[in-house]
Amino acid sequence: MTATGGGPALRGTGAATPAGGGGSGVSVRRAPRLRTVLALARVEASLLVRSVLVLAGLLAGALVTWLLVRPTEPLWWRADLEIGGGQLLLGMAVLVAAQLAAGRPRRDAVADLYASFPATAGTRTLAHLIGLAGAVPASLLLLGAAVVVVQERGAVGAPSIPVLAGCLLLVIAAGAAGIAIGTRFAHPLAGVLGALVLFTTSATTHLASGGGIWLLPWGILQGQLGSLPGPLAGYPPAGAHTAELAGLAVLAGIAALAVTVSGARARGGLAAAGILAVAVTCFAGAVQLRPIPTAELNHLVTEIADPASVQHCTTANHVRYCLYPGFGRDLSSLEAPVNGVLAYLPARPGQPLTVRQVVSLDFTDPSLTHGHPERQISRWNAQTQNAPGSAPTASAIYLPVGSWPAAGGQLADAHFDLALATAEWAVRIPPLIVNGQPCVPFDQAREAIAIWLAILATHPPAGELTDGLGGLETGRGFQGVEVRNTMVPTWNYPGAAAGPTPSGPQLTAVGYLLAKAMTGLPERKVSQVLTSAWATWLNERTTDAQLAAALGIRMPSVPLPPSLRPGSTPPPGMTIVNANQPALQNPVCAT
Amino acid sequence: MTPRSPDLSPAEGAPRAPGRLIRRTRRPRLSWLRALHLLARPISRTMPWFTLITGCLAGTVILAVLVHVAQTSRGPLDQGTVRLAFLPAVVALAFVLRTPFRPLTQATPIPAWVTPAGHILLAAPVLAVTCWAQLRIVAHTIPPHTPGHPPAVYPLIAELAGWCAVTAAAAACLDRSRYADLGGAIAAPVSLATIALAWYAPISNRFLAEPPATAHGVTIAWYAVASAASALTCVAMRDQWHRYSRNRHRPSSPERNPS
Repeated sequence: MTATGGGPALRGTGAATPAGGGGSGVSVRRAPRLRTVLALARVEASLLVRSVLVLAGLLAGALVTWLLVRPTEPLWWRADLEIGGGQLLLGMAVLVAAQLAAGRPRRDAVADLYASFPATAGTRTLAHLIGLAGAVPASLLLLGAAVVVVQERGAVGAPSIPVLAGCLLLVIAAGAAGIAIGTRFAHPLAGVLGALVLFTTSATTHLASGGGIWLLPWGILQGQLGSLPGPLAGYPPAGAHTAELAGLAVLAGIAALAVTVSGARARGGLAAAGILAVAVTCFAGAVQLRPIPTAELNHLVTEIADPASVQHCTTANHVRYCLYPGFGRDLSSLEAPVNGVLAYLPARPGQPLTVRQVVSLDFTDPSLTHGHPERQISRWNAQTQNAPGSAPTASAIYLPVGSWPAAGGQLADAHFDLALATAEWAVRIPPLIVNGQPCVPFDQAREAIAIWLAILATHPPAGELTDGLGGLETGRGFQGVEVRNTMVPTWNYPGAAAGPTPSGPQLTAVGYLLAKAMTGLPERKVSQVLTSAWATWLNERTTDAQLAAALGIRMPSVPLPPSLRPGSTPPPGMTIVNANQPALQNPVCAT
Repeated sequence: MTPRSPDLSPAEGAPRAPGRLIRRTRRPRLSWLRALHLLARPISRTMPWFTLITGCLAGTVILAVLVHVAQTSRGPLDQGTVRLAFLPAVVALAFVLRTPFRPLTQATPIPAWVTPAGHILLAAPVLAVTCWAQLRIVAHTIPPHTPGHPPAVYPLIAELAGWCAVTAAAAACLDRSRYADLGGAIAAPVSLATIALAWYAPISNRFLAEPPATAHGVTIAWYAVASAASALTCVAMRDQWHRYSRNRHRPSSPERNPS
């Protein structure tokens, strides 16, 4: 915590005339003002460096940065903005600490004592502002650590220096705002409220839209940066935003000095500086509100609609991988689950498999296309609607840009997801969607085979697979879809909710339980059974029961909960999927 | 300041006059009621109304601004916005429990915890009105013929009650520590960090956030948290002494001891 009073005595200030005419008959000599300011600033900076609040903010900022960066694919054009999320937390802590420091004399009721000191209130405020340099090491430390972590995770692209400079300026501006608040309001609540207001600007999407999101101190919740295949000029307008933050920091400093400075000349200087800061801030705001150049958006649309023109394609093990420039580091990570499935296949389909990156951008989002005519936006939309990945195909797996995690559990889930998509291609389950409903391989042996292949290729934790049943095994829950007027219990595989391959079929609980039973058998035995009649197993009419009989295992049964049987009502707390839409049926996957 | 009233009988632990035998008398129940009657005025006078109302109004003003912007561009607000807008009120509550004159009230016949407890009791209706007003403001943004049921409000009320109780507990504990002078300024970030952890940490998230927890489960969990925090607040408020983590072995002196 910033000290509430006192502090080391300043050397070199000498005796001085008490400010504000508070002295009475004491002859003192005015010390050089700059030396006093610097000496005071050094003390305030050291107090800020050692402030428990700032240290707590540093830890909280590191935690938030990690939480923002960890689950997503490390792309520098998004990661540097996420790093700013952690800096926002640090900035809030610095704001509170600076407000406490600036409000110290009035809060402790020693304003009269301070007035008898050689340093005037204006001098002390100036020292507080310079003392914000004490927050710079914490900000730089957090910034450096975050940059190293993101780079170590194999980030695509390069960090943006203006964005990172903006992170530092955000902390400084928050501290200056804290001093401005502290000089006027001494109560600690004022600082905490100021920090909450700063937080609110970033924590809600309701405050601004379109280009206005960049006017907020740090808009991390909005925009589509994570879906871009590369950096887009003017999105975000980093340089202008950094200028805006610098202007706001100067304005806050001037507001703080305006409260404490009394001389007419000083006030005139402050007014001139204030006008200049307002002009810089307004100009920076205007630059940020400018639309993204049409040429840049045209180029982006071309990259989305015709990815072959920019993507680098590689063929490995007869599978074609097409990735955007810079994403080559993902190749080995993509190959592993695909090759794992291919290794167990008795025969491959005639159509070769292509794994391709796609971009899913919403061109109606005003933050991307603000300032452009409606006709132009409609044209861009029309161009991207026919892009690869907009409709699923049997011989291609589409990976949206930004969805491939770097490490950890998310990567394991993504591996299983890709392995399952490869296995579905191998057993020829089509990615059929009717009225927005994915098809269900209902009572088809090939479904269990696909799940078995994916499990063997990636070896996911058994508990995670069982969790996909949604509590069906323990009787605590039930999830299902309606197929041919029958309620079918479903299984959601790991990574299904945020997986990299959208639009796959909806798998059933019976299929998973049969695949789980298959994993209990020797691999060679299962392989022999599958190889002996591969074409039969791929037939959509071959049932789960036939596969179970061929393998010599019991067919798993999944009884419906009593509440879903005819004539019963669901108990409290149980949710029935599609209960309000009895007519919504999922199609059966047919070749 | 709580005045010494002739109607009040000497409390236990009050200094005895030397050489005089004081008979321990049972305190009649009516005297408590009379004491409460006498205490009501000083407690309400020493209540930091400005701090509390500033916090409550700040959140409501932020919400009003969001409503204004949302109505023109971004559609109806959700319960998350109410949570955000209620945070300033929670922060203000952290400053309510501080009683700077506690060293003096400890020397009076009235227990020292009566003042902060009275302040909490006075703050409760203000916080309840703030919550009600913010819920009404958000409900106003939802169009009347919106399909489907709006989310239940009772889990949110339980959650906000839990936040207040946690904040009160943090403030009461810090008020009995060496950081008492800045108790509110520390208790507020501590409470916010606790709320964030409860919301985002996977262990607590399963019970305290909806989803994955059910509305019923969230309500029970937050009221359980509020009960535990209230018990901790009571214990902290009844504690007589400041806690010192440093210089424990040094001989105490009146100048060193702020209480």
